[in-house]
Amino acid sequence: MKMNKKNLIQQLELTFADNEVNTFEENVIKIYAKKEQVKTILRYLKDNGYNHLALISCVDWIKNKEFRLIYILTSYNANNETYKETGDIYLKAKISRDNPEIESVISVFENAEPYEREIHELFGVKFSGHPRLIPLFLERDYEVPPFRKNFDTRKYVKDVFESIPVIPEEEE
Amino acid sequence: MDREQVIKALKDSGKWGHKYSLWAVYFCTGCGIIEIPPTITSRWDAERFGVIPVASPRQANLFLITGYVSVKTLRAIIRTYEQMGEPKYTVGFGSCPINGGMYWDSYNTIKKLDKYIPIDGWIAGCMPRPEAIFVAVTHLWTLIDKGMATAYKKYRKQYKYYRKNQEMALGKLEWPPLYPINEDE
Amino acid sequence: MREVELYFGPQHLGMVGNFSITLNVEGDKILKATADPGFLHRGFEKLMEYRTWMQNFPIVCRINVVEPDHMEMVYAMAVEKLAGIEVPERAEWIRSIYLELARVGSHLFGLWAYSNMLGFDTVAQWAMYHRDLILDLFEELTGGRVYHIYIWPGGVRRDFPEGFTDKIVETLHSIGKCVPDYNDIFFNNPLFYERTHGIGKITREEAEKWGGVGQVLRATGKSFDIRKVEPYAAYDKVDFDIPTREDGDAYSRIMVIRDEMIESVHLIFKLIEGLPKGEVYNKVPNPFKWKIGEGESYVRVESSRGELGLYLVSDGGDKPYRVHFRTPSYSHGLTILEKVLEGANISDVGNIMISMYVVAPEIDR
Repeated sequence: MKMNKKNLIQQLELTFADNEVNTFEENVIKIYAKKEQVKTILRYLKDNGYNHLALISCVDWIKNKEFRLIYILTSYNANNETYKETGDIYLKAKISRDNPEIESVISVFENAEPYEREIHELFGVKFSGHPRLIPLFLERDYEVPPFRKNFDTRKYVKDVFESIPVIPEEEE
Repeated sequence: MDREQVIKALKDSGKWGHKYSLWAVYFCTGCGIIEIPPTITSRWDAERFGVIPVASPRQANLFLITGYVSVKTLRAIIRTYEQMGEPKYTVGFGSCPINGGMYWDSYNTIKKLDKYIPIDGWIAGCMPRPEAIFVAVTHLWTLIDKGMATAYKKYRKQYKYYRKNQEMALGKLEWPPLYPINEDE
Repeated sequence: MREVELYFGPQHLGMVGNFSITLNVEGDKILKATADPGFLHRGFEKLMEYRTWMQNFPIVCRINVVEPDHMEMVYAMAVEKLAGIEVPERAEWIRSIYLELARVGSHLFGLWAYSNMLGFDTVAQWAMYHRDLILDLFEELTGGRVYHIYIWPGGVRRDFPEGFTDKIVETLHSIGKCVPDYNDIFFNNPLFYERTHGIGKITREEAEKWGGVGQVLRATGKSFDIRKVEPYAAYDKVDFDIPTREDGDAYSRIMVIRDEMIESVHLIFKLIEGLPKGEVYNKVPNPFKWKIGEGESYVRVESSRGELGLYLVSDGGDKPYRVHFRTPSYSHGLTILEKVLEGANISDVGNIMISMYVVAPEIDR
């Protein structure tokens, strides 16, 4: 369903009144949503033609003590002429750093499952309702999840790998 | 011919058959796998050096570790290495197994592969060309002739230290020790 | 019959790349498949936060070993967007020629992997030989066969040498002369049709639901290509088609790859004809002390596997704050593979995986 961008912004501001919506450059709509409303906004956008979830990512703003999740959506029906009207949507949500928790969006977009597993493993965010939140890439536990800003990877390498001794030469 | 000459001729023909047919295990461990298909296909033909890829480690006696080694891959490499029959040779391919290479500060890669399994020789580069693999194979022939390619013997003799290093890097190992470890030595 | 758990592990003759799948089988039929990535995880996105903007270029191309050029392109585009750097016109056309050559080389590598797995060894040898001819061109241009580091913010590193475009045309003609042989032996072979028809079938709605991009989507009949949706470099200045097929099985995917290769070769000829003159490089500020203002950007290109995207965040410093690559093999290898393998035979696992063009280092980064 083709949706003009101005219409979409007006409808979003009416329906989800306490979230902030604005446009950025020519082709991007940024929505700063509350974390409880992320799933309903995503379902609304999917019904309006934005049916391709490209990326779920997480940024660690350690100075403000928060994580910011971003959901990037585009439309499979876009082509060169309509892209200027549909464009991308960046949906952002803030969660606290000490107890990071948000609802999973797998019931809206099925391909969100490995993205959420990866963010859980590398940042420590809990996604409630996820069917299998088991490790994806890592095979051991780290004290601090490795992609957080207070995990120093060079110090970890020095402590763990460089302390292993070289094999001595054979005694004759 | 006297007895000495007969034994020398037989041993040399054994070595001749052995070194001119080094069969390599087909295991794509890392980045460096991108230069292995050109090496084994028709342009830079590796079969004229006797090197062909085989499916099972039990049939192979050359192990090319192509590229960086992550922690999960190290488990698979050690199990593959321990299943190969002796005499066996390992060659580290690329700069990453030598000292960590470009990922020297990564939390998930093994920096010096020499501490965990014994290595006969290294090929430097990122990526090395297919001709570098042939130089390594011919150098390995010279080492086999002189009796200096003895990394597998070092594994047997110093197994206690290798096993301890493997446990320090990987935690608990699921397979039992390959050679009996004598704790009083 | 009992249910058995098998490990289609990393050291396996049917596996290209370091990736493993755990299969629950009953007899020959697969009940459940679980992908097990992580053998190639280096923590790229963390490592890039420790290096300055320019120091990241040698490392960013090593994420996908088969086709490193699109990684350089997407990182350069993201940095240019954040820093507001313009690229001269000749550099845009040169970038397009370079990326299309990389696309042809990558498809030939995929053809080697696929025909080797099927058992057609002759075509595998030919495809690898022709890819080597293209790598010779790259070696003359940049100095390295596999990792080139040719694109950087502001343009490309150096201009084409004298007579280089003639060499490109000559090499591509010599590859193009062999296309009837490829068709006779492989693509029109009834055995190839028997082995791949109906295997790994995906419908169009399923591909959109599970996040499919690239050939997986184009083989189901949907024409979605970033070069047409959001053109970058010089793609909006020349005319080209997007090949699609209807069925969505392994046969359609391989035929789409073949059609794309032929289309890329024609596109390179058109780009060489229209190549304008001029500078190839706009200087950037001192790379040792280059700071980029605050902001974020998401850019995408069409790599040979699908939509490749990069989300880049800067906080005003001289190093990136957060880098996140959206690679096409991520949804193909982790979501679609698990769903398509249910109900398939064990002997078709390699067939399905390689026809979807899953490359393991792209998943793990």
